[in-house]
Amino acid sequence: MCLLLISAAQADTIYQLIKIPNLEIYNIKTENKLRYLYAKQPFTIGIDNNINCYTPSKQDLDKKYTIIEKNLNRYSKSFLKKINLKYIVLCEDLSISGIGTAGIPDNIMKTLILDIKFNEKYFERVIHHEVFHIINDTFKEIFDENTWSNFNPKEFNYAECSTCTKKIGLETYSNSNGFITEYSQSTASEDMAEVFSHLMYGSLPNKIDPILEKKIKFIKNALSKIDNDFIL
Amino acid sequence: MIKKIKASTSEKVIFIFILVLGLFTFTSFLLLKDKCLFVKNYDPQKINFENPKNIAILNVGCGNVIIELYPEISPNGVERFTTLIKSKAYDDVAFHRVIKDKLVQAGDLEFGKKGNIDYGKIGTGKSGLGQIESEVDREFNYVRGSVGLARAKKYDTEDSQFFIILQDEPLYEGEYTPIGKVIYGIEVLEKIKYLDKSEYVLRPDFINSLRLLVN
Repeated sequence: MCLLLISAAQADTIYQLIKIPNLEIYNIKTENKLRYLYAKQPFTIGIDNNINCYTPSKQDLDKKYTIIEKNLNRYSKSFLKKINLKYIVLCEDLSISGIGTAGIPDNIMKTLILDIKFNEKYFERVIHHEVFHIINDTFKEIFDENTWSNFNPKEFNYAECSTCTKKIGLETYSNSNGFITEYSQSTASEDMAEVFSHLMYGSLPNKIDPILEKKIKFIKNALSKIDNDFIL
Repeated sequence: MIKKIKASTSEKVIFIFILVLGLFTFTSFLLLKDKCLFVKNYDPQKINFENPKNIAILNVGCGNVIIELYPEISPNGVERFTTLIKSKAYDDVAFHRVIKDKLVQAGDLEFGKKGNIDYGKIGTGKSGLGQIESEVDREFNYVRGSVGLARAKKYDTEDSQFFIILQDEPLYEGEYTPIGKVIYGIEVLEKIKYLDKSEYVLRPDFINSLRLLVN
């Protein structure tokens, strides 16, 4: 039981808790007990230091924090505890192995790293997309990928991984065809995250086909198993 | 015939100066060696406590550290702590992890006992009573002097180890089970031995005793 506590400044305490260096507190006095941290200096983490993120300007941080907090306030303290999310790390130009990404979820460390400069158009929805990955990682058994994949036409196959495909479009289809965006077709997990984020953001297509209908029902049902009080 | 030579005034002044200097050096050496010199040692018998049943007295090298326990916040954590206190399990146990001005940590009953320290394993020992669930849902302000139960990476792994923080640590709320707060004698803990280059202390200071005020 080697305890993980403290050191010199708050940055050191944060490092002890979530293993990300160069962070400082942005706001920890929140109703749902989320702790917002920001990159005071650029940081590098991960296997072979493959995850990088940079210091945001104060102006960008203040502006995006308002948006992020508004969206994350929709998750209650009890729900966040169930899904293992506590620390939100705000930085910019987040990348993993050189590929830009909106967020990196880590339910073990209870942390979600968010790139505050990620695509302005889809920024709010993508916050929920990333939260879903935390939910999914914490409750793998509830979000069974085989069950999900069986909703799709038999001839359809997802890619090997989310970065193994060129299907990265985030524009919501006006007429869904079992998929809500192009990115939905990358992997089952990304497909679920896209459905969830559209549900949360209230941006579902006008016409919902029977496959998408099943997927929406699946997500709603799974969430109710985690927390009956969760409101989409 | 030996001629008596009288010391001149300047010689007398130099002699007195050397004498005073020697005396000053000697006393300074003694004073500096005593790290507890300016540390107040509180006598719990001379203090009126609102709830004496919740008072624990941690006695270490420089004196008493008086802790108020919070069973209403962490009933299971406090129960574990008091159970071990009553069995005198914490006596002669090392402050194995100390970070200057930040925290002191003790309570490894398996590998941290005086005379039986295992530096390779210290910090990983168990009490034999099993692990208990974390109690982190209640609001708690982790300010200087707060006492918490240590745990491994995962929640619900608390056992016997505890820490006392020497500076405010707001991020600890929701992370660690709070069991109390030092109400007198925090300065005693600032004298616990630490190393500059390592959090884990070689040849550490030990708890002399840890007792409840009312048994």
